[in-house]
Amino acid sequence: MDLFANLYLGFSVALSFENLSFALLGAFIGTAIGVLPGIGPVATISLLLPITFGMSATTAIIMLAGIYYGAQYGGSTTSILLNLPGEVSSVVTTLEGYKMARKGRAGAALTIAAVGSFFAGTISTLLVAASGPLLTSVALSFGPADYFSLMLLGLIISAVLAQGSIVKAIAMVVLGVALGLVGTDVQTGQQRFTFGVPELSDGIGFVAVAMGMFGIAEIILNLERPESRSVLTNKVDSLWLTREEFKRSIAPVLRGTAIGSTLGILPGGGASLAAFGSYMMESKVSKFRHEFGTGAIEGVAGPEAANNAAAQTSFIPLLTLGIPANAVMALMVGALIIQGIQPGPRMVEAQPDLFWGLIASMWVGNLMLLVINLPMIGMWVKLLEVPYRHLYPAILIFCAIGVYSLNNNVFDVYLTMLFGLFGYLCSKLKLEGAPMLIGFVLGPMMEEHLRRAMLLSRGDPMVFIQRPISATLLAIGAIALITMLLPALRKKKEAALAEG
Amino acid sequence: MPEVVHRRALIAGAAAAVALPSLSRAQAWPSGAVRLVVPFAPGGSTDLAARLVADGLAQRLGVPVVVENRPGAGATTGSQMVADAAPDGQTLVMSNIASHAISPALYGNRVRYDAVRSFTHIAMVITNPSVWVVNPRSEIANLADLVRIAKTRRGGLDMASSGAGSSNHLLLVRFSDLAGIEHTHVPFRGAGPAMTAVIAAQVPMMSDSLPSAAGHIRQGSVRAIAMSSAERHPAFPDVPTFREQGFDLVSTSWFALSGPAGMPAPIVERLHRETMAVIATPEARQRFAEMGGSPGDMTSAQFSAFVASEVERWAPVVRASGATAD
Repeated sequence: MDLFANLYLGFSVALSFENLSFALLGAFIGTAIGVLPGIGPVATISLLLPITFGMSATTAIIMLAGIYYGAQYGGSTTSILLNLPGEVSSVVTTLEGYKMARKGRAGAALTIAAVGSFFAGTISTLLVAASGPLLTSVALSFGPADYFSLMLLGLIISAVLAQGSIVKAIAMVVLGVALGLVGTDVQTGQQRFTFGVPELSDGIGFVAVAMGMFGIAEIILNLERPESRSVLTNKVDSLWLTREEFKRSIAPVLRGTAIGSTLGILPGGGASLAAFGSYMMESKVSKFRHEFGTGAIEGVAGPEAANNAAAQTSFIPLLTLGIPANAVMALMVGALIIQGIQPGPRMVEAQPDLFWGLIASMWVGNLMLLVINLPMIGMWVKLLEVPYRHLYPAILIFCAIGVYSLNNNVFDVYLTMLFGLFGYLCSKLKLEGAPMLIGFVLGPMMEEHLRRAMLLSRGDPMVFIQRPISATLLAIGAIALITMLLPALRKKKEAALAEG
Repeated sequence: MPEVVHRRALIAGAAAAVALPSLSRAQAWPSGAVRLVVPFAPGGSTDLAARLVADGLAQRLGVPVVVENRPGAGATTGSQMVADAAPDGQTLVMSNIASHAISPALYGNRVRYDAVRSFTHIAMVITNPSVWVVNPRSEIANLADLVRIAKTRRGGLDMASSGAGSSNHLLLVRFSDLAGIEHTHVPFRGAGPAMTAVIAAQVPMMSDSLPSAAGHIRQGSVRAIAMSSAERHPAFPDVPTFREQGFDLVSTSWFALSGPAGMPAPIVERLHRETMAVIATPEARQRFAEMGGSPGDMTSAQFSAFVASEVERWAPVVRASGATAD
């Protein structure tokens, strides 16, 4: 079969000594920068870009891809151990992963993150190989109206599934959307909510918000409660999953892989939805959903699988259309263009060794990450035994360096600290940070697609129900809202009846 | 009498200032790593051009040339930083049509620098035209078709670009003006998403810079209908220019090397010479050709005059477009 011949070609390229070494190097660098909070793959890849000028295109892209996956995995490590998400996708990992670490199951959380990611990576690599070009047409059939409805669905679900008070969750989503709108309006170029501060003209950076709300706020909280510091100095038990944890993880990993592979294909935003989507699904369908919020392994296994699957399938729009889905992919396009290769529909035919070599190296890279990371989990967990008076200043310094390196701008560091204080305030008020971040990420995209859809339809809102994809998504959103509201209504009715 | 002496001393001093330090300073420069500020995020065309130049300059100057991305406010944040830096040749900027022609008009008095006087303009690196592309199944084969179809729809034709206030958006404005048609501008966040929309036939056409569109045109995922260069582009000899189709429009976007105002002439000369040498290498020529760009061939003085003419050319168009960040 063609697929196997192609994969054979791919592996013969990926397994050459040179490519293998650079994949290893990339995965290693990626893990290292992923673990350093805030120093993300974008800064690293742009620094290393000139080095790739002298390499063959295939080797260059294999190394850069290695950095990308490595950073994804490294980001999970800090999310689990320190509550420090460096990327959109790892925000979700903090929710259950950090709680697991506090229960002394940091090792298990890291292991399932690695194993789940590897499994998802394997499946989605096969998917990319088997149906990449075909899936492109699915991605292309998503118009602005469909994107809007997809994101609206995402916001509805995030509010519906949040723990605790629904009103507070909605308030946080709305606050997130509002924060996301700061900056230059795409439609007119007008500045909005910037108060004349030039640093705000391109909006508030995601990393500043995420790191402040989660990481810095957590540090402040911990400093406040000296007694709780002992929690993490508990003996960290086995790194390996117990039989039960393993069994509980299988279904979430499978579901996460499915969600991630599907959403990752959508150019722009798809990959960031994947981890959220999986977490929401698990918190609704899992048998152990009552444990969510206290360190449920499903909440790590599913999202980790989903974000890795999405990271792989997000190469589909890049390789088949030449459309970068995020900043890292934009850099990859840059690396290829410098080599004189235009990613796009013809690349599969024109550069089969590059295309299939990259696909094979995705899998090889995932395997390497597993090999690099599993033995290192013990070492990472040891990090938790470092006394806080040494650990916290170090974290703060790395956060500051990381945030600064994004735009080489001190303003972002201040912003992070500000969100740190705000995050502390929120946790005092029992307001959750996650719905706010979802709103922050999805809000601006949703607005952009809404306005584009309206612009193209010359102001006719019917476009949202005339398009089948959009109509279906809106219907699902409506059903989700109704099912959420029904029990609440029934309860009210019962309460009213009881009173009467 | 003393005055004469004084004047002579001045002249001698001035001569010495030109002659002597030109030797000693030329030797002292570069002292350590040179920063090349890119006023855009990594991965864009400005960034790519900067990294190619930085790589070549580093080899020729024998010191590291560090690319530093300082995106923000239509490329004015990073440019402002360089305008404020010491004119010692250690801090340079990848100047371009956004930072030094369009954004000063777009951002008005929020831009503190003068695109001409606050900088020493050193060397033009690469120039490229815009190209208008349509979906390959579109009925639009040329600009005449485009004008005809635009007149049949309320609000005119949907025209996509990489963003409000971009040089491509302004080209759409200039064209619609010239052709007397309406258009609905559909801005995207960057050229990539806009190109996707054209390939998916969600918008009928877009104005794009040739480097980002070249590969898609070669692959046939979009069809080029007009090129904004004065002559047909050597890499795409089949694509007619706007002028050939009866619209007197020429628009070229450019990426160049500039530094703070008042840089010593010897450093400027050396940088100009080395940059020209970098872009003259066969590899650079080939990369530029593949990207659809042409290497710059201006002297520093010509380039400086060119920036001045660009500022004048774009300010009224920005006003006409209605785009403002003020």
